[in-house]
Amino acid sequence: MRDQARQRIDVQLSDQESFDIIIVGSGGAGLRAAIEAHDLGASILLMSNGAAGKSGATMMAGADITLDGGGAAKIGLTGNELDSKTKFFHDIIVQGYYLNNQKLVETYVRDAPARTKEMIDWGMKYIWNGKRAILTQGTNLNETLVNQVSKRHITIKNDFFVTDILTQHNSAAGVVGLDINKGSVQAIRAKAIIIATGGWQRIYSFTSAPGGLTGGMHAAAYRAGAALLNMEMVTFCPNVILWPPALRGDIFPYILIEMFGDLLDKHGRPFLRDEYDPLIYHIATTTEWNKLIFSLAATKIVARGDGSPRGGTYYSIKNVPLNILDEAEKIYPGWRWLRTDFTSLIDWLKQGNAVEVAPAAHYMEGGIAVDEHASTTLKGLYAAGECSGGLFGSNRVASAITQIFVQGVVAAKSAVAYSKKVRLATPDEKQLKQVESRLTAPLTRNDVVRAVDLKKAIKKIADANLWVIRNGTGLKKAVAELESIVRNDLPRLSVQTQALAYNKEWIDAIEIQSTLDVLLASARSALLRTESRGVHNRSDFPQTDNKHWLREIVVRQVNGKMSLTTRPVTITKLKPPRVMFGFEEGIIRAVKELGE
Amino acid sequence: MNKLERKTIKVKISRFDPSVDSSSRYQTYEVPFEPKMTVMDVLDYIYENLDPTIAYHSHTSCHRRICARCNLTVNKKPGLSCHTEVNGDMTIEPLPRFRVIRDLVVEGL
Repeated sequence: MRDQARQRIDVQLSDQESFDIIIVGSGGAGLRAAIEAHDLGASILLMSNGAAGKSGATMMAGADITLDGGGAAKIGLTGNELDSKTKFFHDIIVQGYYLNNQKLVETYVRDAPARTKEMIDWGMKYIWNGKRAILTQGTNLNETLVNQVSKRHITIKNDFFVTDILTQHNSAAGVVGLDINKGSVQAIRAKAIIIATGGWQRIYSFTSAPGGLTGGMHAAAYRAGAALLNMEMVTFCPNVILWPPALRGDIFPYILIEMFGDLLDKHGRPFLRDEYDPLIYHIATTTEWNKLIFSLAATKIVARGDGSPRGGTYYSIKNVPLNILDEAEKIYPGWRWLRTDFTSLIDWLKQGNAVEVAPAAHYMEGGIAVDEHASTTLKGLYAAGECSGGLFGSNRVASAITQIFVQGVVAAKSAVAYSKKVRLATPDEKQLKQVESRLTAPLTRNDVVRAVDLKKAIKKIADANLWVIRNGTGLKKAVAELESIVRNDLPRLSVQTQALAYNKEWIDAIEIQSTLDVLLASARSALLRTESRGVHNRSDFPQTDNKHWLREIVVRQVNGKMSLTTRPVTITKLKPPRVMFGFEEGIIRAVKELGE
Repeated sequence: MNKLERKTIKVKISRFDPSVDSSSRYQTYEVPFEPKMTVMDVLDYIYENLDPTIAYHSHTSCHRRICARCNLTVNKKPGLSCHTEVNGDMTIEPLPRFRVIRDLVVEGL
């Protein structure tokens, strides 16, 4: 039986099917890249591990699109004409704690208005807030983009879990992975590859991200020779619903707290208001800095035993007058947001109850290292959107939606130009065999290490040691435990399910292989960064150290081993102050620097 | 004692692998009941603790009613597994009139 299964899953490399460009990932960055690459005349294949328009993080976004007020006025969105690209650039970097690659930020602010206008022209529903943001919803973004992709009759492969980048002569030559519904391993050739697969939040047990965001393509890029960057940087969204289960992971209270309501500890005290500088409270409730500040404050409350039974805090609207709530309902008619009806939750909250909320893994500032052309360090491989690293430094305060449009287009342009210069390569046979063997090995073993248990164990390591507040002891423990899993458990990982079609255990087993690379890269980077900067908080190194740590951490595979190096952050126009400061001081400093 | 206060529920699931089976059959599992738990929670529990071979859509599910790919039927009534609350014993089947890939996973969602 086992041998039969093994026989049936020899990797199939199609001779007939090849493309100029394969785009892996069908969220906003992948869809936008597909539209651009198609319009530039390339033959493309858009690959989704779920279904295009029905998977990925974009559909779940709040969502806003940010651009400078001056640029907005030029595309007809008036009200903030005195704002400029220079100011926007400055704000993103100061609040990113100067770890941003300034070349990436320049591209972001430069292209934001043009990318926004396209979405409006394509019929996206939106509200302009008169400052720096267009408010819309993830579902609108997806509908608009999927509509454009459909018009162009772009070839799409759904439910295909790409696991590896095929290479030849140190260049990308194709992809290989699991066709989930067929249960077969297939390889497809292309001249260039664009990765647009979002973050790896699903490695944690509590996250606002949908299934599938487990960093598989980060690991694939890494194994193929591309560098990863600042993998220690993880943004947590505070005030995410812990219970009831049907709403678990929903960020609606986070959206509401920008308007009203309080975060309470188990004594009913609004701890942020009570315990922090009034300026910090003001910043937390009025700016995009809210994610960082609330997450940190709530984590400290839970750590000292003042949290809720499920390990969170409480969101309450008890003190909000009913007519103010009625006004807010006009923004979310019928208390519907995205596709969820929150009427019963709001009614329950109105009666004076409080919903349990906690920080959830939400956005990755780090990722696959790219330059301003979206090129990775592997020839022919590009990355766009959240899976790429460097744009937002150590704290994202501007929109990740703008990021997917801007970088999706940049990656498409670069990949198309490259694909015109090169010929289709035949992937390295040895690598194909290696990948095939790695993917199918868990199916052929009769051992005791189950994917379900290993996945749980890995999540536990991430939750315990790579959460909002980190420390050296915990990070060392995480690295040691992960190394032990790689050494002792991974070679014994065994899938019991014999059926090949939609084999959930097999999907989990393949995810685990990549997850370990991603989490080890993150844990080692977090251990190496002996300071606190933005979302990376080390209780043993609480100071932000601009004297020594205005450096990016680069992770690469060298001779089969994970190697970490650092390099100075890319600076173009804005020189960082060479000082050290603590958390609250850092925020107050930045506010003064911003002049607001 | 009403049925919601019982500690466990009986869950009957339609099993079908088109590559080997000629027709579907049912398999029954006993699952600990938690107030407000969803059908997805029940399926996760079975997968993690009782039977890792069951197939139900979850690899990219959004848990927010957005992707609507976890659609199935509970006691013959269609619904999303991520948002359907459990009321007691139940029979879970794939959405009718869709080609079954395996168990509860169908083509075309």
